[in-house]
Amino acid sequence: MRVLSWAYLVALFAFILLPVVVLVVFSFQDGRLPVPPFRGATLKWYAEILSDRDLMAALGNSLLVALGSSTVALLLGFMAASGLARVALPGTLAMRALLIAPMTVSYLIIALGLLQMFNAAGVGPSLLTTGIGHVVINLPLCFSILYAAMGEHQKNAMRAARDLGAGEWQVLALVSAPMLAPALAAAFFLSVTFSWDEFIIAFLLTRFDVTLPVEIWSMLRSGLSPKTNAIGSLVFLVSVAITVTLEFTLFRKARK
Amino acid sequence: MGIEAIEKRQGAALVLPALLWTVAFFVLPFAAMVWISLGHLDGREMVPGPDLGNYLRIFTEPALSRGIWVSLQITLIVTVISVALAWPLAWIIATRVPPRWRRLALLLAVLPFWTSYVVRSYSWALVLGQKGVVMTALVGLGLLDAPVQIMATRAATVIGFVHFFVMLLTLTIYSNLVQLSPNYARAAEDLGASRFQVIRLVILPLTLPGVMTGAFLTFVLCIGDYITPQILGGNNELTLPQLIMLQLGRRGDYPMASALSVVLMALVTLAYAACARWLKMERV
Amino acid sequence: MRLTTSCAAAAVLAALAPTAQAEELNALIWCDHADPALLEPFEKAHGVKVNTKEYEGTAAGLTILEQSRPGDWDVMVIDAVDVHRAVERGLLAPLPAAEMATADYFPQVVMAANNSVDGVTYAVTEKFGYNTIAFNKAAVDPEDMKSLKTLFSGKYDGRIAVYDYYLPVEGIVGLSQGIATRDLDAAALERIKAPLFALKAASKQVSDVVASQTALATGEVDVLVGGGEWLTAVLHAENPDLDWTIPAEGGLLWAQSIAVLKDSKKPELALEFVKYITSPEGQARLATSSCYWGMPANRKAGAQLDADQKAVLRWDEQDDYLARAQLYPVPDAATDAAMQDLWTEMLQN
Repeated sequence: MRVLSWAYLVALFAFILLPVVVLVVFSFQDGRLPVPPFRGATLKWYAEILSDRDLMAALGNSLLVALGSSTVALLLGFMAASGLARVALPGTLAMRALLIAPMTVSYLIIALGLLQMFNAAGVGPSLLTTGIGHVVINLPLCFSILYAAMGEHQKNAMRAARDLGAGEWQVLALVSAPMLAPALAAAFFLSVTFSWDEFIIAFLLTRFDVTLPVEIWSMLRSGLSPKTNAIGSLVFLVSVAITVTLEFTLFRKARK
Repeated sequence: MGIEAIEKRQGAALVLPALLWTVAFFVLPFAAMVWISLGHLDGREMVPGPDLGNYLRIFTEPALSRGIWVSLQITLIVTVISVALAWPLAWIIATRVPPRWRRLALLLAVLPFWTSYVVRSYSWALVLGQKGVVMTALVGLGLLDAPVQIMATRAATVIGFVHFFVMLLTLTIYSNLVQLSPNYARAAEDLGASRFQVIRLVILPLTLPGVMTGAFLTFVLCIGDYITPQILGGNNELTLPQLIMLQLGRRGDYPMASALSVVLMALVTLAYAACARWLKMERV
Repeated sequence: MRLTTSCAAAAVLAALAPTAQAEELNALIWCDHADPALLEPFEKAHGVKVNTKEYEGTAAGLTILEQSRPGDWDVMVIDAVDVHRAVERGLLAPLPAAEMATADYFPQVVMAANNSVDGVTYAVTEKFGYNTIAFNKAAVDPEDMKSLKTLFSGKYDGRIAVYDYYLPVEGIVGLSQGIATRDLDAAALERIKAPLFALKAASKQVSDVVASQTALATGEVDVLVGGGEWLTAVLHAENPDLDWTIPAEGGLLWAQSIAVLKDSKKPELALEFVKYITSPEGQARLATSSCYWGMPANRKAGAQLDADQKAVLRWDEQDDYLARAQLYPVPDAATDAAMQDLWTEMLQN
């Protein structure tokens, strides 16, 4: 059983890591085809992506949309969770269900609905509309994480602060938010990750300024080259670096 | 005004923005989509309904109705295989790996999350091709006489999906496993259960809610995905999202795309109803 | 309180909105026009930024235009055979025919009948090439490629890829059945259904440009139906065995035109862009664009291309090719829908 367990672990890790390893290795391929045989290493493809203005613009756009939409989603989710956690409102259950509903719907459906509504309203596709779409998918996530994190302890502290004369915003900003810092950070981090990597909403709701996944998609459709491997590897390595840094600083402290 | 009334008013005011956002950018667009799906395209003109013409076509034209079956089959196969692969992995990490290595093992198990999702599918396309790493290695080692066709088949789509969902499910099942008290297993062992019996009769049922939540998420994400089948499937069969994107991209037929989306939504709702009693969506 | 929230939300979202640039030209294009090597000289010369958006298929392009606000778009690239469809919808502005470089064009691709309506010019051809049979000459017998019958002979079953665009491929299958592209109507579609499905059964995949290139370049498949110089040229350095030909039954001539949108708010700049694209320099850059290559419509571009580039483009053989190739089918809306339905059914079969 023991040997079997380790064999299974190794086999599954090989399966999980295989495409990433291949991706990174062939991003150094000296030649246009990112398949075996490996013809030697070059940094040419990295140089090309770094000087590709569309790609770099897309990178910036993705960052902007991810941070912007996550901030809005976190803010809305935090307020809603605080509101629902403190008192039993009529229809609390229904409200919670409504707020969580977008999580159970395919992104494609959300994207298509928004696209048609914006068309009807005469709003052209842009990073703004994409950001709105990303708030829709991230709001349920932020809400449910924060709602689950708000225990009795939390409610009592908030109540105490109010009894001592703290205003509503003071309670939220000075009492509730610091107590929930780990959950807030986790929700924000998850939202950024989802938004950063989201394709179909961004694909249908952008026009000239596109996000990175959309730009990668058009790269894929306009010519085979290890450039795609290079940008994929670069994003991967940078994201892993950020995650590991967070893991060892922010979350380690938060977990204690 | 009593304290409770004030609290209620303030609570409602806090919830309101999120509710308004959800109604404006989720409920309303969805309602609009349902309405549009009841119209149809005449030449290049959109004719408002209501008529059920699109739905009639979806269920009578083989090219469209087969999309429902293709999507359902792929999604079910993927969900079952992913759960079957992920459960033991999560269990091994949670119980077999020494505690100090656990977080590292978990991180390794989900590492590819941090590649771009479009790139991940593309990478599988390179890995699975006739000249790809897998076939080259298998033929080189003498395990195969000639490369086997995997790329551009349903198998490639399934592999691409399973890869992603094994990671997702390993996470959800792992977090479920570590919350279990070891006392259950010990009690069962004290009562004379073999290790295998402990797993099958005690631990497995206790992780069912986590498994079902993960499986439902897998179902939703898998059945609505366009990229993976489009990149890996070689257009040898079309899933619902591919059909929807064909209506949009090539033909500009919004009513038909909307109708197909409503059908997709109905499938997800059915799946939700089927596993609703195990789901705790707030705890995802 | 809600006001504050909405203000905060608005502020964040406003930050997401695209920042204002100097002057911008919005172009609805095919991917070859997105190449910075093509756009940058124009941008520098006029101190403007060219925004591009790709689309596939005329129907989708027209939908994008109809769903935009008037003035959103300045220029568009469109299938030469579909210019009339755009003119009928009142989308295009007349072009000053006298200022166009068409006198320097290959005469066969001026296509005045397609680019003008009632004597008014609305678009000019900019690039052309062929949808035909591309193949790996190291892996197939080039003699076999001289007839479309080979595709149905069983000899290359499982080694064929089909380019995922219904118009040219249904046109080619029509040619294999002796149906000229202009005769491809509802009745003819019935006749090509069986051979089209047989082609699908014989092929490994139906794929877009890159997947087709990958498959051909890596030996996944050896024959590509619908391919041509536009697909093999960029891979020439990698694998010189990739070749293409126009079989005895003929091939399809694709030609793309460029036009100025009627509602453009920058008609002068848009016209300058059209002139740049059709100038010998613009034509040479467009012909060798990173996305795909194709013959420049303007013969004078030849002076800007080197011998290797010309060889890859088959510069010297154009007279023969042009004589044997047929234009894309020009279906009416109903036939177009039927052709797409047939295509979807083929994919799903």
